[in-house]
Amino acid sequence: MHKIYYIIFTVILTSSQFTSIAQQEKVWFGGLARSYFVRDANSFENDSTSAKNSSLGYNLIDLNTHINPLKDIEIFAQLRISNEFGSFFGSGTDIVVRQLTAKGVLAKKIKFSVGDLFLKQNKFTLNNNDEELPFFNSGFSSTYRDIVHYENFYLDNRWRLQGLQTDFSYEFDRFIETIEFDFFITRPRGSSSIGNGITQSDMLISGGTMTSKISKNLTFESNYINLFEVPSSGNTDISLRNPVLQGGLTYQNETSKAIFKQNIQSGFSKRGWLQFDSLTNQSIGMFSELSSSYFKIDSSFSFSIGGRYVDPNFRSSGSQTRRIDMREDNYNSIYPNYSNEQISRPITAFDIVTDATIYNQDLSPTLMSFNPMYSNSLPYGDATPNRVGVFTNIDFLTANNFLELNFNSSYLQEVIGQGTKEKRNFLFLSGNSKLNLHEALNTNKKLILSVSFINETTNRSGTTSEQIVLNSKHLDFSTDIEMLENVFLQLGLKKVNSVGNEFLTERIEFGEISTFNKINYNQIDNLYSLGLKYKFRPNVYMNLQYNWWGTNFNDINVSDFKYQRLLFIFSVKL
Amino acid sequence: MKIRQQYILTIFSIILFLGCTKDEVEGPLINDIYGFFEITQPLNISNKNPDFSINEVVKFQMGFNKNIDWKISITGLVSGSNNVITGFSNSLDSNVNIWSGNTSQYPFFEQENCLVELSFLNESDTIRDTIEIAGTKLYDDGFMVVDFENGFPADAFNKPQGGNTLATFVVADDMPLLGNNYFQMGGMINYDWALGKIEFKLDYSANSISSSSDDFYLNLGILADTTELHTGQFVNVLISESDAPFDADNNGVADIFDNNEEVYKLKLYVDWEGWKLISIRYSDFVATNSTAGVVFERNPNDIKGMRIACQACPSGGANPSCPENLDRFVRTDLDHIIFTENNPFFEIITNIVDDTWNKN
Repeated sequence: MHKIYYIIFTVILTSSQFTSIAQQEKVWFGGLARSYFVRDANSFENDSTSAKNSSLGYNLIDLNTHINPLKDIEIFAQLRISNEFGSFFGSGTDIVVRQLTAKGVLAKKIKFSVGDLFLKQNKFTLNNNDEELPFFNSGFSSTYRDIVHYENFYLDNRWRLQGLQTDFSYEFDRFIETIEFDFFITRPRGSSSIGNGITQSDMLISGGTMTSKISKNLTFESNYINLFEVPSSGNTDISLRNPVLQGGLTYQNETSKAIFKQNIQSGFSKRGWLQFDSLTNQSIGMFSELSSSYFKIDSSFSFSIGGRYVDPNFRSSGSQTRRIDMREDNYNSIYPNYSNEQISRPITAFDIVTDATIYNQDLSPTLMSFNPMYSNSLPYGDATPNRVGVFTNIDFLTANNFLELNFNSSYLQEVIGQGTKEKRNFLFLSGNSKLNLHEALNTNKKLILSVSFINETTNRSGTTSEQIVLNSKHLDFSTDIEMLENVFLQLGLKKVNSVGNEFLTERIEFGEISTFNKINYNQIDNLYSLGLKYKFRPNVYMNLQYNWWGTNFNDINVSDFKYQRLLFIFSVKL
Repeated sequence: MKIRQQYILTIFSIILFLGCTKDEVEGPLINDIYGFFEITQPLNISNKNPDFSINEVVKFQMGFNKNIDWKISITGLVSGSNNVITGFSNSLDSNVNIWSGNTSQYPFFEQENCLVELSFLNESDTIRDTIEIAGTKLYDDGFMVVDFENGFPADAFNKPQGGNTLATFVVADDMPLLGNNYFQMGGMINYDWALGKIEFKLDYSANSISSSSDDFYLNLGILADTTELHTGQFVNVLISESDAPFDADNNGVADIFDNNEEVYKLKLYVDWEGWKLISIRYSDFVATNSTAGVVFERNPNDIKGMRIACQACPSGGANPSCPENLDRFVRTDLDHIIFTENNPFFEIITNIVDDTWNKN
């Protein structure tokens, strides 16, 4: 352990030296260093087969090198050196290039990037939607969240892709004020052999965005994206085509105290597979969204309301791909099997919060599996197909920052029924509050309390076999109490309780529903946490946690499980 | 537009969104998968004493509360003959679910009592009833190719292969399918494929057949050995629509099946024991390899001839592909070869091998 701290210290010291030199030499460094150790233990009776406890850990350094050979060119490389506990330096040490990007400006007019790109467009064309169980401001789970997001390259709802991107803009003195363009082409998947002499084709994704400020108040935006396979690069005789086009207008009024925004957008998608010269399994769908927003300029209050229609056949791989595929063979890394029967342990709240390996980094041309217990109204984000309804959002912040409140709600309905003419109705309510008690008590030491909840109800009427009643409640509670200077005591609780029934859809390889599987829920996921955190700086901290977690299925045919974890993290972000 | 008006317009438009639903269904019906099965209308059999010889039929009618796999099994209590009608629906439609006295498997029904059993997949309910057959179905309402009742047709060719020293290729009366006679077609050649062929001259141009090739059926019975079945035996059935003379060179082999003629073919492995009743859709026959320029129009009215060739995988000689069949007798006997319009006599087979080059 001492060795790795020595290395981290050296890197921090060296990087700061280089940063000062950077102004002359055009080379500068950044990065991240992390020490991570966990010890997991199972603590329930009917599992004498699994190990009673296990531990793992690693040290890693991500060294970011920024090279500016010219004023308008930057080369970026992220080199990872990692070493698992239990192995010696040298053997068991991995060195990988994690990111490589070159970017610059051509003729002082056209920006370009080559290599690893973090791309995002509109939420209906290209958007990396948040995972289930939003972490709110929860202190103890944010430690895990930072790792999960960092390891999976989740940055501001962007997808990490490799390719070429360019953007440029024009300004005008009449008719319109500005117009901006952004284009990219990337390759999410290369051609590869999948056995039996079959070679899978290259998969490419290309797109563009045009944004134009027509007047002081009016802005037009259009996005186009196309996920497709190149048939000549494989021999499967079948290749995907999924173009999506979006267009929208935003009208904005500004007063001295507030901003009023009206937005209308619409678009359509087409998805099919080109087999020889004809498109098969083709689906064409559209969406529309209308919203109004009010923001106080001092950020103390905002309110938005909107309506959305997404057609059952709207398919947009870039915006409907999920972060977690809930299919059965997406195994957890912690105790993937449990009980004396060694049955597969399903993904539960603790895994969603902590396990970076269950997350997905690849775009999927078909809808991925989800668990209605954790998200049922919008499992594929705002672009979830077969939804129509209204939504609201309210944010409130007191003048002295004592209280932060956020309230979200939506009432959605299916456009067409699944397996019946009756349609599901979804009511989603979510509230999030953060109390900065130290502001009210006027103390120097921080005392933060966060309470958040989600209540999601799904209903469908019909015959006895068609009826659905599912209610899921998520409760999140955490406190950060500064006991000594920069030393925080962390208490946390996360509870997910789902009761009712639902039907899981099974789909064929081209996305059509083949059957429904009826499932009953009476499940409670628990996660309790007690921890200490020492903050050297906001991005440099040491965290020790003890977690108690488990799931109660309330079903005599399914074994419950209960585990404990000791976690230690030392994280340095440069 | 004032801000208040903008908001009112937005909220009004949002309310309009809520009306955008459709009365459509995605995926299979849940009621079909998980709904409790109930009979909403009892089984109604239209005629419990049918005389199939005068084209009477039995119609079945019934209603259920969900789509389900159902099976009607009709079993002759004397003959043991059996006919099966299956479907997936939420009712038995009397216009569709009709029994005309045919059988799914040999032997044929007699004038006898029959047990009718209606069962449903994954449901314990079985509904039973009886039918008394007053007259059996006559299998002669069609375009007869040959039934061998008057021996082998005089204008047809019977050509057992030269090396087939144990060839049958004769009309026999010991176990006919229908009537008194059938045709034995078999023998033994260990070293070669072809055992012989028979060719019939046909002409339906005066019959004004209105059905297309999709609704035109070839029906026949084929008898295979009941002991020591030759596992590599098959028949090639060729139908010619050539306008050329049947045997232009008078050599006793029909010329209308040559490569430059419009010929359709199927290859059928005879891998069962005893009689099997077969119906084949004419459109399932495959256009043969031909010299360039041959136009394939496939019109039942233009049929001019049929060849049925008996072959078997060699068990000896230079290329013993099926040594396990050494000295086994090949038997692909035939009876009652008849074309029908719109209604096949028997169960339609589709396991036809696309092997268009071998015509012998």
